[in-house]
Amino acid sequence: MNKTMNVARYEYLHHVGNKRFWLSLVSVPLGFGLILVISLLLSRFSFDTRPVGIVDNGSLIQLEPDNSKESTFFNPQIYLNVYPDESTARSAASTGEIQGFAVVPEDYASRYQLTYWTNKQPDSSVHSVITDFISANLMAAENIDYAVLHRIREGSSISLQSLDGSQTSDGTGWHRIVVPAVIGILNFIVVMTSGGYLLKALVEEKENRTIEIMLTSVPSREIMAGKIVGNLGVGLTQIVVWVLLLGIAGFLFRSKLGFLADIHLSGSYLVISLALMVLSFLFTAALMATIGAAMTSTEESQGVIGLMVLPMMIPFYFFNVFLSNPNGILARVLSFIPLSAPLALSLRMAISSVSPLEIGLVFVAIITFTLLMFWLAGVVFKRGMLQYSRRLRFKEIFKKETRNA
Amino acid sequence: MSAIIVDKIAKSFGATQAVRDVSFEVRPGEIFGLLGPNGSGKTTSIRVILDIYQPDSGSVTILGGPMTNEKLNQIGYIPEERGLYQDVPLDRCLTYLATLKGLTEEQITERLPKYLAKFDLTDHAKKKAKELSKGMQQKGQLIAALIHDPEIVIIDEPFSALDPVNTQLVKDLLIEQRNAGKTIVMCTHQMNQVEQLCDRLVLIDHGRVLLQGELSEVRDQFRTNEVIIDSLDPLPEELNGVSRIEQLNGGYRLTPQAGLSAHQLLNELLAQGIKLNSFEVAVPTLDEIFIQVVKEGNGKHE
Repeated sequence: MNKTMNVARYEYLHHVGNKRFWLSLVSVPLGFGLILVISLLLSRFSFDTRPVGIVDNGSLIQLEPDNSKESTFFNPQIYLNVYPDESTARSAASTGEIQGFAVVPEDYASRYQLTYWTNKQPDSSVHSVITDFISANLMAAENIDYAVLHRIREGSSISLQSLDGSQTSDGTGWHRIVVPAVIGILNFIVVMTSGGYLLKALVEEKENRTIEIMLTSVPSREIMAGKIVGNLGVGLTQIVVWVLLLGIAGFLFRSKLGFLADIHLSGSYLVISLALMVLSFLFTAALMATIGAAMTSTEESQGVIGLMVLPMMIPFYFFNVFLSNPNGILARVLSFIPLSAPLALSLRMAISSVSPLEIGLVFVAIITFTLLMFWLAGVVFKRGMLQYSRRLRFKEIFKKETRNA
Repeated sequence: MSAIIVDKIAKSFGATQAVRDVSFEVRPGEIFGLLGPNGSGKTTSIRVILDIYQPDSGSVTILGGPMTNEKLNQIGYIPEERGLYQDVPLDRCLTYLATLKGLTEEQITERLPKYLAKFDLTDHAKKKAKELSKGMQQKGQLIAALIHDPEIVIIDEPFSALDPVNTQLVKDLLIEQRNAGKTIVMCTHQMNQVEQLCDRLVLIDHGRVLLQGELSEVRDQFRTNEVIIDSLDPLPEELNGVSRIEQLNGGYRLTPQAGLSAHQLLNELLAQGIKLNSFEVAVPTLDEIFIQVVKEGNGKHE
């Protein structure tokens, strides 16, 4: 056990102590952040904040435009200016004082159609500003409180409840899709990077023959266990660092993240999702060890990694199927496959009701698959690591096992 | 108690029979030569000894019993090719490999600088293995094999990539280890090194033992009654008592007539007025024995 921990510690420190690890670790969130900031800035700078004019030829407008909201860089407002006639509005538009103006025609009450005059395609915000103002005036004409209109537009929130009352799910809200997707993406990145480290380390040890010295020092199962534990630590370090960075970013921009208050995640949901990620990693690590032991060169192993991406990405490819039928056959089958389970099950749990029995069965299946993969990795590791010039053949895997395996 | 007993081991890979019915014994405190041409089954035999491979049949007894995880700490091993992490500083690599042999950090801190100094690697300790010459890497591997003070050291081609100075350093080290009671198994093609170092040897080819025993016994086994002389004057074409004369570079190899001993041949030569600078009984070199045995072995297989 001590040697297992020595192997694990070496694997962990070898990667975490490497500048390249930290560069790639920080570059991922920084890259995402940079793209986000650039797109926000581009969007912000292309956003026209000049006021919009409105000319009322239909005697519709009774209310003053509400231009009281402060326009800031992150929350720009488009104000409304009411003009007495079209020529004044046109003059203001031609000097650039306003970006365009809407004309409420005399027959608006019968046709409900108005014209917006401008030389550029208006943002969707312009449309909202005008229609909100018109709606408010229409409601005022009917003596209806404007707040009622808001309430009608917001609609209702529907939560799901299983018949026996044991399962609940917030049936609405963007987070029920985004959170599982983030879990899936995190799982993909962590599994592929730390699993990739493991595979690379194994193939390199095979190429430089270090494995031969290791096998005369530590039983092969302990070597493999140490490598998997060490690389799992690398993966968890990645997650912890990213969560910390997200936390710091969240703290810095806390005033802009009010929408995050919509996220209501239960503790059990998080525990199940995290446990699935860890199991998925262990399975993948054993799979990587199997591939690394069977292959003869880094180049050869890279090709096989590509095949592993596919099952991890399947839930993303069939996202619509999950949303339309979260308890269908495809969604259920993918929940039982270790590589796709973290995204598949967490998505299903977020958008529908999954029984505790099924969740339990998923765990039993994935743990069983993982243990089988560990056994297979142990055998292949033992038999394939010293075959330098050719790949391990399938029938050689199942020959009689040795003591040191 | 023998350090290693290999008893009729056989190992095949698919249709290839790498080792068949190989038996030998390595005694404690000796340098034992495991010899054989490329592909003869040496490396497979070593891996079976080290319990990396399980034999198809036969058994290995090491330090009085089967291999255990504890006994792994009593063995130092250098494979034939490389064996160091190429992208890791030498001292970190050696520290890691030493921990796998059960050494504590304190023990490593105490021993590693001494070994680095002994092998003249102190100034290179922070370099990555790929930045070191092959000879330096080989010395680094020797440190990895010796730092945990093993009972048995198994080295595949210990002198490959070493210059004469470092070859002598390693030879001295192996002798020092033997004098300290360590058992050394040495695989090599360099027969001159075997002649200088090994107490006993086994020669295998095509997975079979062709020859084994003490170095002197092996030589005696192949000894002929031929003599090598260096004479002041050229020899005549025929000499009494000599059935064959072969001119060598700076001398002659003489084959006495049947029934004539080397001593009697010397008297015959002196009686015929041959002026001798030197006269020695021709002992076959290990190289010659190796080639002869392997050729004979191949003849049997063909």
